[in-house]
Amino acid sequence: MDSLFSPPEGRQGAQWRPVSPKLSTARRLVLVPGVLLVTIVAAVVLLVSGIAVWAGVAAVLGLVVLAWGWFVIGRMTRNLGYAESADELYIRRGMMWRSLTVVPYGRMQYVDVQAGPVEQVFGIASVHLHTAAPGTSARLPGLPREEAARLRDRLTELGETQAAGL
Amino acid sequence: MSRPDDTAPDDTGPRGELKRLSPLSPFVRGWVFFLALFGATWQNLTGNDVGFVLLGLLGVTVIGIGAGFVSWLLTKYWIEGDELRIETGVVFRQSRRIRIDRLQAVDIAQPVVARILGLAELKFDVAGGKAEGSLAFLPLAEAGRLRATLLERRDRYRRDQESPAHPGASDVTEGTPAGAPASGQLSGASAELPGQASGQLPAQPDRLLAKLDPGLLVVSSALTPEFVAFGLGGVALGVLLVFTGSVGSFSILPVLVGTGAAVYNRLNRFYGFTVSDTVAGLHLEGGLLARNAQTIVPRRIQGVVVSEPILWRAFGWARVEVSVAGAQGGDDESSFSPTLIPVAPLAEALALAQHALSGLDFRSVPLSPPPRRAHWCAPIGAFFASAGLDDSTLVSRNGWLNRRTMVVPHRRVQSLRIEQGPWQRALGVADLEVDSPPGPVGVRFRHRDATTLRPVLDHADELARRARQ
Repeated sequence: MDSLFSPPEGRQGAQWRPVSPKLSTARRLVLVPGVLLVTIVAAVVLLVSGIAVWAGVAAVLGLVVLAWGWFVIGRMTRNLGYAESADELYIRRGMMWRSLTVVPYGRMQYVDVQAGPVEQVFGIASVHLHTAAPGTSARLPGLPREEAARLRDRLTELGETQAAGL
Repeated sequence: MSRPDDTAPDDTGPRGELKRLSPLSPFVRGWVFFLALFGATWQNLTGNDVGFVLLGLLGVTVIGIGAGFVSWLLTKYWIEGDELRIETGVVFRQSRRIRIDRLQAVDIAQPVVARILGLAELKFDVAGGKAEGSLAFLPLAEAGRLRATLLERRDRYRRDQESPAHPGASDVTEGTPAGAPASGQLSGASAELPGQASGQLPAQPDRLLAKLDPGLLVVSSALTPEFVAFGLGGVALGVLLVFTGSVGSFSILPVLVGTGAAVYNRLNRFYGFTVSDTVAGLHLEGGLLARNAQTIVPRRIQGVVVSEPILWRAFGWARVEVSVAGAQGGDDESSFSPTLIPVAPLAEALALAQHALSGLDFRSVPLSPPPRRAHWCAPIGAFFASAGLDDSTLVSRNGWLNRRTMVVPHRRVQSLRIEQGPWQRALGVADLEVDSPPGPVGVRFRHRDATTLRPVLDHADELARRARQ
């Protein structure tokens, strides 16, 4: 990873903290049945209509999408990372379109912790940090549940002590 | 929130004098009806036939006037303690209490009919909630007096709250978590109102900063895309009529009317527009038929944008808009973006923009273009992009058809972000984005050299951190 997206320097742990690899598993668990269902339905419809060649094309296409999705999910999860400095939360994300967001704790309006049904099964949750700017996309999915709770408490605490208003 | 019809003081605190709205208020609200009545009467009289319609209308009128009178009689407002109370309603009594220290803005509006009669409506914008209120209608002078009283009281309450006994109490109105320590911002804000003796109206008069030249407004409106479309539409209509003689060519009439209305709206909204500096903030006022007034508190300004549309650039004109943080509170985050001046000579526009940023000199910020290779990902855009920062502000300039210079002070930065797409990565460039509350301002350093952008981000972050403390 190039220096553009390197972790904050000179503070505790100049390392990106990764999110749980279970995030990949959870996302793939949603991806696979979805793609398979669409592919099978398309292939069956085409087969019944009597154009078997196209059914084969649909099946191959489905598998390609599946493989690509599988790969992208893995890379996205690996590229997702965060670091807490004394005053800001750093979040790095993305595979093709990469971004690095720096959110001062003092700008925080509120924090959300969310966990959907699949995430709950895997014991992970996402933390969403909101500022007054809608452009701040400080969302961190795939944190182990205890880590999500810890981060939320820490962010809330730091947000209060460093509050800067608008 | 209905309440029995008792106006007995149930709270402690000084109780202000009970006041009523202007007796003409029902008329201003129902003038359309009166117009209809007049029209119908006229028709009937000229037809020499006093019919049922007229009788019916007369009956309705009598009832209407009666209802209006009763409604007027039962509508009262007064100041009690730190609240403005408004009681209305004939059948359903309503009593609204507006906390004066929560008032964000008090605006004066004058619809056409109200203006003819010298009346005005007072609108209240309250922090931290959608509950807004209005008093319609008051005599203009009365409205101005009440507005001044309310704002003066609000500032006094806020100053009291900022006393050491309650640190940060006024933070609540700023939408930050309660109990937070008073930040440097607020003390800076109170410094903006120096030497204002409590209990009396501010002594210094409002200082006029800019006055819109009506001629400039008309000429500049003629140089907007809408108006050019309007002109072209008119010509097309004429040509079609001459050559085809067909009535069908009138089908472009709605387009013409639409664009005409857009131009007229602009004139109507900004005619006689003035910007002045008052104790409460920047005061904007203008309008041809209906006049509107608005006050912007300087510390709520998040950034400014100076726009120079291509048709104006030859004449050196510009428009200034500001982004103002609106009512706070989670998802229903809203903000309004007032136009500081719809058109002005560039130098004047820049001076006004600088004034809105409490004097931060953004014009001396060195702007630099992106590297030459950026043209591979933005062939045209890269010619018109430039950006830079100094110790007080971040500035970016983008756009060819509409060149926009956006400025955000470091102390208003919400968060910073670097973004890089695959194509940008191949070229070794990236974007630096400054996140601001919703509004027209969004500073973006486009297609900057990727190797030097991270130090820029870290530097901007350091400056923002210092500005927050």
